[in-house]
Amino acid sequence: MVDTGMSWRLLKNMDVWLPAVLATLTESQSTSRGGAESEGDTESEAGSRLRAVSTEPDMRLQPMNLPRQCLASGHSKSCQTASIATAEASVQTRKHADAEVQTEVPAPVGARTVAQHDSPRLAAFLRRVEAMVIRELNKNWQSHAFDGFEVNWTEQQPTVTCLHTLGYPPAQGQGLHVTSVSWNTTGSVVACAYGRLDDGDWSTLKSFVCAWNLDRRGLNPQQPSAVVEVPSAVMCLAFHPTQPSHVAGGLYSGEVLVWDVSHPEDPLLWRTGLTDDTHTDPVYQVLWLPEPRHSHRFQVLSVATDGKVLLWQGGGAGQLQLTEGFALVVQQLPRNTKLKKPPRGETEVGATAVAFSGFDPSLFVLGTEGGFPLKCSLAAEEAALTRMPSSVPLRAPARFTFSPHGGPIYSVSCSPFHRNLFLSAGTDGHIHLYSMLQAQPLASLQLSHKYLFAVRWSPVRPLVFAAASGEGDVQLFDLRKSSQKPTVSIKQTQDDSPVYCLEFNRQQTQLLAAGDAKGTVKVWQLSTEFTEQGPREAEDLEQLAAEVAT
Amino acid sequence: MQAEVEETLKRIQSHKGVMGTMVVNAEGIPIRTTLDNSTTVQYAGLLHQLTMKAKSTVRDIDPQNDLTFLRIRSKKHEIMVAPDKEYLLIVIQNPCE
Repeated sequence: MVDTGMSWRLLKNMDVWLPAVLATLTESQSTSRGGAESEGDTESEAGSRLRAVSTEPDMRLQPMNLPRQCLASGHSKSCQTASIATAEASVQTRKHADAEVQTEVPAPVGARTVAQHDSPRLAAFLRRVEAMVIRELNKNWQSHAFDGFEVNWTEQQPTVTCLHTLGYPPAQGQGLHVTSVSWNTTGSVVACAYGRLDDGDWSTLKSFVCAWNLDRRGLNPQQPSAVVEVPSAVMCLAFHPTQPSHVAGGLYSGEVLVWDVSHPEDPLLWRTGLTDDTHTDPVYQVLWLPEPRHSHRFQVLSVATDGKVLLWQGGGAGQLQLTEGFALVVQQLPRNTKLKKPPRGETEVGATAVAFSGFDPSLFVLGTEGGFPLKCSLAAEEAALTRMPSSVPLRAPARFTFSPHGGPIYSVSCSPFHRNLFLSAGTDGHIHLYSMLQAQPLASLQLSHKYLFAVRWSPVRPLVFAAASGEGDVQLFDLRKSSQKPTVSIKQTQDDSPVYCLEFNRQQTQLLAAGDAKGTVKVWQLSTEFTEQGPREAEDLEQLAAEVAT
Repeated sequence: MQAEVEETLKRIQSHKGVMGTMVVNAEGIPIRTTLDNSTTVQYAGLLHQLTMKAKSTVRDIDPQNDLTFLRIRSKKHEIMVAPDKEYLLIVIQNPCE
């Protein structure tokens, strides 16, 4: 579109500009489908002349021909550009250097600074409101108006109640214990593994993995929604973090298996088989970890008392392939803590529990048979001095040794709210609260005169954890109320037979599942005090962690 | 002008217990903030809507009245909103408990 001002300038240098202008005009004419009236704003001579041109019925005017037709004065002027001499020249760079170019992540739309000219108005606004805001801030700081004021939005649950008592009679009939429980990613299915945790040769004992869907109507506590028969005792279980029906288990024989409980006829997805890579001792814990490069895919980590920590990935033909491996050897343990000398000939350090820190994905804590937790890293590079055969080079992962318990550790748990805190529970009946920064525990609590089999931090309350004891109860500790005795002690078994495992439900945070030696899984509904965060809990936890001796 | 704005905001931010301060314009777009981007955008959008609703509530009840200040007290902290024709000042304070 040619505006008025531009067309006057055009008149002055017509022979220079006209061909180009007319060319563009004809192009716009031909595209505007005879909309010649659109140029109606130009009243100049050029405009009228152009309009005259535009009313020509034949729209396909060659740019070259136009000047002759439009100049009413009659002298023909040909407009043709002189032939341009062209020559081919090829250009090729002889040398090139790599320069890395990186695009910055585009700044998210949001906190944009407004243009400078708004500053006076912004300053005036702030002047107007500042006094009022400061006054309110002061009043608030000194106010006692809301002291002790609590509002309850959900129905208050004053006590802990047992929601479900689940069991599988054929397993209970064989006297099997529940060795491990796990909630799936949606929080609606709880699975348990049957095996035996006391001494005896049960490597040929058939056992089961059972799953109950608690959200299904008509739930029969004695009839699991899925039962998988396993040729050897299952020691540990872990549901997949995103697939609601995949569950990994470690066996007494040292194998690691992955099942799909939604296919009861053929549940086995992957297995390690009994190869050179497989553990030679019972697998005490399995975990799912995101793969380093594809964070939506997961691999299985298994720890066993043969001292190996192995990472498996599901390969073709249902075979779990070993991708990475670590081995704990006594000689390679960090010497920052004095440990008892191991019996002659033993070089491996049996691992019995593992927990990953939620804050640093490569950092993990191992509980050992020697009773000392180890801080380890997936990124460790030093080769392990072991003669165990392996298709993948085994590395020594330990970075720091913590002060030991009086007996083997059965369970470790890293705090989901603080990067440095973790708990460990062992056969000495004590719980130790450690900080990653020092070898001595921050606190040591005696919970039981018998063994402690499991300890877990609460996923919602920073100061709460639960422990399963050999005296048959589940103890809930609230470090805010008392650091000496449990806030609630739930009796799970009537005859004091031990509770072996427990897990909090991350989706329905009021549920806690615990499995015992009678083969029953009880799902407890916790009182509201255990599920709702108090006002300053996170700060109190910080304070606790800061009690590290300098 | 620019310095005065920054001075005022710094004074407010350094008050006891203040966790975050932000200024939001009339469309709910944050102009200045002391918190990270995603938190700021969330607070700005939600509180802008809430302030508009509070303002219309006050005026519906009594057309001669108008909203001067909005305080939301939650379990963890207190959010204070000072509204205006063109801007909103949002301050999040963790009161002494």
